[in-house]
Amino acid sequence: MRFDDVKESALMAFDTLRANKLRSSLTILGVSVGVVTVIFMVSIIQGLNRAFAGQIESLGSNTIFLSKFAPSFGRPPGPEEIHRKDLTMDDAEALRREASSIAGVSPIHRMIAATARYQDKQTDTPILFGVTPYYEFVHSQYVASGRFINDIDMQDRSNVCILGVDVMRALFPYADAVDREIRINGNPYRVIGVMEPLGNFFGQSRDNSIFMPISTFDKYYPDRPFPEVVFFIIIRPHSRAHVKSAMDEMTDILRRRRRVPPNAPNNFGISSQDSLLDVYNQLTGATALVLTAISFVALMIGGIGVMNIMLVSVTERTKEIGIRKAVGATKLNILSQFLIEAVVLTAIGGLAGLIVGEIASLLMNKYSPLPAYVPLWAIAMGVGISALVGIVFGLWPAWKAARLDPIEALRWE
Amino acid sequence: MSDVTLATLPIEAALQQAQVNGQHRPTSLISMRDIWKTYQMGTEEVHALHGVSFDVNKGEYIAIIGPSGSGKSTLMNLIGCLDTPSKGDYWLNGKNVSEMDDDELARIRNQEVGFVFQTFNLLARATALHNVELPLIYGGIGSTQRHEMATQALKAVDLSDRVTHRPNELSGGQRQRVAIARALVNHPSILLADEPTGALDTHTSKEIMDLFERLHSEGNTIIVVTHEHDIAARAHRILSIRDGLIEKDEKIK
Repeated sequence: MRFDDVKESALMAFDTLRANKLRSSLTILGVSVGVVTVIFMVSIIQGLNRAFAGQIESLGSNTIFLSKFAPSFGRPPGPEEIHRKDLTMDDAEALRREASSIAGVSPIHRMIAATARYQDKQTDTPILFGVTPYYEFVHSQYVASGRFINDIDMQDRSNVCILGVDVMRALFPYADAVDREIRINGNPYRVIGVMEPLGNFFGQSRDNSIFMPISTFDKYYPDRPFPEVVFFIIIRPHSRAHVKSAMDEMTDILRRRRRVPPNAPNNFGISSQDSLLDVYNQLTGATALVLTAISFVALMIGGIGVMNIMLVSVTERTKEIGIRKAVGATKLNILSQFLIEAVVLTAIGGLAGLIVGEIASLLMNKYSPLPAYVPLWAIAMGVGISALVGIVFGLWPAWKAARLDPIEALRWE
Repeated sequence: MSDVTLATLPIEAALQQAQVNGQHRPTSLISMRDIWKTYQMGTEEVHALHGVSFDVNKGEYIAIIGPSGSGKSTLMNLIGCLDTPSKGDYWLNGKNVSEMDDDELARIRNQEVGFVFQTFNLLARATALHNVELPLIYGGIGSTQRHEMATQALKAVDLSDRVTHRPNELSGGQRQRVAIARALVNHPSILLADEPTGALDTHTSKEIMDLFERLHSEGNTIIVVTHEHDIAARAHRILSIRDGLIEKDEKIK
């Protein structure tokens, strides 16, 4: 097929589109909807992926998360997991002593929805953390003013606390928080510092927190009711290169300490950012499959529209096909003419869809918490897919046209 | 114009000549040998043509005449390479057309045959120029040369001032002249006209037939298929078809 053929076919295609404006635009609309769906789905998946990867990284560099529960996303732990033996401070100490790849260990009690009060101001949403002096180093999160918990606070089980920025703003909108006395769940604490702001993680503030010595936490909440209180350990390996060996060492130490039989699975959960990403990717893989299926159906509908209009077009132009064959058009000439026409239709639909999809994902970024992102390859894919739809669904009508008997076609009125 | 045409020679002589050459390659422009065309109508076989043979030399002006149902249209379709015979050999300009496949036939139609139809059969949305260019597009001729050839062909039928007009902006006679320009643009071996004046008034019919005469005098081979005797009378030779056979083959000029 020569360039002239393609040009002739493309010109004719545009001519036909002009001649049948309404019909063509409806068909184009059908394809657009399909492509918009594809673009939109891809942009959602991509946006989520990017946001998630970014958020995970923002949690701190290379830290390893250890708890008695297997890593999950929103899935509540099963009964087996709940009845597992708790991790202990001794476990944390053993890891710190024995694992050579580990630079720091930070055991943490976390209690959700603590109540904090200062004079007439109260907030019921903060998350209460019982932590050790290693917390700052392990998490790379530091106090902005005042000081952090030290060993003396730990020994004395002092009633001291450090506030996250959100809590500070809630309780001390006008005054400095350091050295004030506040009440947490009814007990008096002296504020000794304020943390630097951390920002959001998936729309949730990470600054709505209160820190106190883990020994003090134990003093007030010795029975650690689940699920209000959970205990976990954050480990910082020497470097990113040590993540794998640190996890191996930790697994060995914990299996030994928790007496896990050689062939039994771990009765604790270790996850790094990478493994979190793995789990996440598994989850979104399923979602992506569903979204892909939806896109496919949408494209099918668009494609059937194309096939329909092309069949009508072939029938309407039987005479024209006869004339073209009479003056020497081969099967391939006719086939390519109608195929190109179908591809032009779908390509216009695809471009329109791309524009709409792009605008929609921009709007989505701006006005909704769901992140959306259209990668370059998705744009190429959108155009490619629409052209492919044109070829796939245009092939049969085009073949029908190509096979017409010239004598019959010329006789057609 | 030589009076000795292969059509007037005994068939045996033509065959003899072919055998001497070692292949069936007649020297005439068109050579039909025992052409049969059979259609299957349900369980019944209908013979539209049974055993038609004739030759046409380059530069002849022939009318094929016959009542409807005579096999005249079938014969025209075969001559125009729109169809292949069920049996027999058809040589057109030295090529055996009878065994060609669809795409080879398309190529032959493009190179060797110029069609003129009763209803003009122009592309309604294309300009006169584009209509005339159509065979050249399928002939693979580049746009510059195509443009020139098409303009030339339109000039030859006195339509230089209608180049950019679309068919609905042209009169019947003008449309038929565009169709003739299209038929001639590729310099085909034969100009094959099917009831070329059937949709035209008497005056315009005369114009078109005058044009045919002129084209013939310029060396074109013309075959007109018609059922009108006065149109046939303009030709130099008349083939009368009846019941799928050549009833009469007479030279009148």
